[in-house]
Amino acid sequence: MSGRVLRIYAILYLVFLYLPVLLLPVFAFNDGTIIAFPLNGFTTAWFAELVAIPALHEALGNSLIIATVTAMLSTTLGVFAARASTRFQFPGKAGIMGFIMVPLVLPEIIVAVSLLVVLLQLGLSLSIWSVILGHTLICTPFCIAILSSSFSGLDRSLEEAAIDLGETRLSAFRLVILPLVTPGIIAALLISFTISLDEFIIAFFLTGTEPTLPVYIWSQLRFPQKLPVIMALGTLLILLSLILIGSAEMLRRRGLHKSGQKDAGGFL
Amino acid sequence: MTKPLISIANLQKYYGSYHALRDVSVEIGPGEFFSLLGPSGCGKTTLLRTIAGFESYESGALQIDGRDMAGVPANKRPTNMVFQSYAIFPHLSVAENVGFGLRRRGDLDAAAKARRGAEALAMVGLDGYGDRAAHALSGGQRQRVALARALVLEPKVLLLDEPLSALDKKMREQMQSELRRLQRHIGITFILVTHDQEEALTMSDRIAVMFEGRIAQLAAPQELYSRPATRDVAEFIGTMSFLSAEVRDGRAEVAGLGTMPAPDGLSGPCVAGVRPEGMSIAEAGADGPLAAAEIVESAYFGDMTTYRARLAGTEALVEISMKNGPAVAVLEPGTQTRLHWSPDALVFFPA
Amino acid sequence: MARFGLRTEAAQGYVMVSPTLIFTVLLLAVPLIAIVVLSFWTQNFMEFDRSVTLANYREAVSDPIYGTLMGRSLWIAGAVTLVTVVLAFPIAYFVSFHVPQERKALWIFLITIPFWTSYLLRVFLWKVILGFNGVLNSSLQGIGIIEEPLTFLLYNANAVVITLAHAYAPFTILPIYVALEKIDRSLLEAARDLGETAWGTFRRVTLPLAMPGVIAATLIVFIPVIGDYVTPRLVGGPNGLMISNMIQTQFLRLNNAPMGAALAVSAMTIVGSMALLLVYLTRNIGRAPK
Repeated sequence: MSGRVLRIYAILYLVFLYLPVLLLPVFAFNDGTIIAFPLNGFTTAWFAELVAIPALHEALGNSLIIATVTAMLSTTLGVFAARASTRFQFPGKAGIMGFIMVPLVLPEIIVAVSLLVVLLQLGLSLSIWSVILGHTLICTPFCIAILSSSFSGLDRSLEEAAIDLGETRLSAFRLVILPLVTPGIIAALLISFTISLDEFIIAFFLTGTEPTLPVYIWSQLRFPQKLPVIMALGTLLILLSLILIGSAEMLRRRGLHKSGQKDAGGFL
Repeated sequence: MTKPLISIANLQKYYGSYHALRDVSVEIGPGEFFSLLGPSGCGKTTLLRTIAGFESYESGALQIDGRDMAGVPANKRPTNMVFQSYAIFPHLSVAENVGFGLRRRGDLDAAAKARRGAEALAMVGLDGYGDRAAHALSGGQRQRVALARALVLEPKVLLLDEPLSALDKKMREQMQSELRRLQRHIGITFILVTHDQEEALTMSDRIAVMFEGRIAQLAAPQELYSRPATRDVAEFIGTMSFLSAEVRDGRAEVAGLGTMPAPDGLSGPCVAGVRPEGMSIAEAGADGPLAAAEIVESAYFGDMTTYRARLAGTEALVEISMKNGPAVAVLEPGTQTRLHWSPDALVFFPA
Repeated sequence: MARFGLRTEAAQGYVMVSPTLIFTVLLLAVPLIAIVVLSFWTQNFMEFDRSVTLANYREAVSDPIYGTLMGRSLWIAGAVTLVTVVLAFPIAYFVSFHVPQERKALWIFLITIPFWTSYLLRVFLWKVILGFNGVLNSSLQGIGIIEEPLTFLLYNANAVVITLAHAYAPFTILPIYVALEKIDRSLLEAARDLGETAWGTFRRVTLPLAMPGVIAATLIVFIPVIGDYVTPRLVGGPNGLMISNMIQTQFLRLNNAPMGAALAVSAMTIVGSMALLLVYLTRNIGRAPK
């Protein structure tokens, strides 16, 4: 296969990947209520309108709380599992790790309805917390994937060397392991924050009277006159995602560099 | 030996059903350069890590400096280790690596710690490298940092786990003599794990050769080479040719060589071993014990030539190494010659 | 350390993994079991009739609407998987074999970025692109290729396939890329040295060794796509709805959770057995014979 043909194909493919996303800012700044070409002119009015929607602010607040707590919970759970799988050998490890990673492939609607059933049966009311639990479940495997690559790159004798030089197991973890996996931990926090912020299905099923941002957006998609505002909101959200993911990637690479490893690319 | 620094008695260790250390007993003296030599999987690293406190054992006893080490964790033992991978902390500078173990020393202030670190670096020839980032070091430099980091704590015993295996040949030879010099200079016990017999022979005061979790022989390098206790040891260290033999009435009949006095305690069929330098190609008119042989193969190494020769009347091949010189001709395969040998050069093993 | 030192490595491993394991058991295993149990109950107005019955499954089999939706879901998931894998392979190959080492991470990063932007909005944008007055129609009309807007673009299964193929693209590229990266390049030189053509080398060496990645990609797309909810709702129209939409309807609209549970369990069982079958059939591909 010729490299040039492949390169052209690859560039077309990237255009296909980016096309929808690139339309978002185009219509966000378009001075017209109909989302279609030709464009009418430049305006920032839709962004200005965002400031004056209390329901949106409330949804944003809910989403930020959920995403922050989810990020912390799933990263903590991820650290435990990643550490266990990279440092220890124990019978049934593959099965246990496989089970923990299942939410990665399980359709989100299954996760959503099954959690819904249990929560309602237990008589618990739906709230921000039910969304947090669901999001933590689906974010944890991503955190494990990121953290495992941080942990597995560590030479086991680094920890032993610290103990040999007089540290305890706990202080060796704090002085040697933790600094080396910190970039991975921050990357895991950012990624799970981003996933939670964007996630719709689980939030849709498990949110009570406190909608998240995607649930709010979903409710607005039915009203054509609201669409330009949603486009403006989407533009800001995508910008936020880009900043978060960009920082996560930079941290991941810096972490690799710091511990003297080679870059194998990508998060997953 | 004076009072031993390390005394290991009847140590047994299992990994599940795998018997990693089989009744290991050894005493190592203060200031000794001691090597654990053996093929991979023989238990030498396990024994080293047991001394360091990273491995537990099922039964037996381990004492260091008269103190029983059962239940004493690695961070409380008077030993420090140079790891095979060196385990240099990549997020710390050279000085921070070297000073790592001094963190908990309450009796030293910051200046004293810095001075100690600098001294340790100077000792391993890395004067002024303190501010370098650890991940920017070469293999040889990492090894020196690992040494300085362990020695700065003034351990009673320095444990070295195959410290030279990651270096290239030239660097390895240089570090061998440096390590030896360093050990003599500071006078503490070094325990070296290696699979490289030359390394063990050139550096050690004594060597323990291990096979399958057991110490097969414990001896000084010269004795180990010239008087191997078992055929396994003889084959692992250097080259040895083996000839079938039969001992009767205190006389040994060795195939191709004839009869000679047998060592005590042997009788019946056995094996006689001879090192390549224990035989030589006899010059014309030489006397002493001589054996007729035919050259089968020769390999020229510049300073040496090694031959394989078939002893007359046998199928047995022996290996002979001869120093080359202006007056020495390299013999072609097929040449009929005579081999000079000495009864002292023969070692007998039970068959 | 003394306290830890007495414990075996396995025990330490179990202790370490237990918080995550317990969490996953409570929030995944227990709910999944609950939904299986629920699927054997029936809805009696506001309460559950807890007598065990196969009524829901009987209904799922007898009412053609469920079969149609399940069949369409499988068909769409299959089509999406095929499209994404076929389109993704050349990209993965390009990045692995033709992009210089130091720029590979950048390419992978570029490919994954769209995945991290709001899924809801990405799907909605396809609606904007494919719609009657959408970007595609208005552009084509603008440059005079068509007179009237194309109507077959939106609100059908095709729209669902296009949108999902876009959404899952990075999921397919990554595992294939990883598999290609693992191939020892000297194997390819050896094949050429033994007289193979470039194409023959690709077919006889590269492709078989990349198969584990292709299979992983297939599973990673096929399984979640079956359960996709947003895309069929937004761009599928009445003839593009999938099983998830029905599950949602049963749970939230018709208030018949047991029926929804039965559909969810059926879908999981069908997808799960198809995945296992695929893994079983391809278990020897790309591996050395024993």
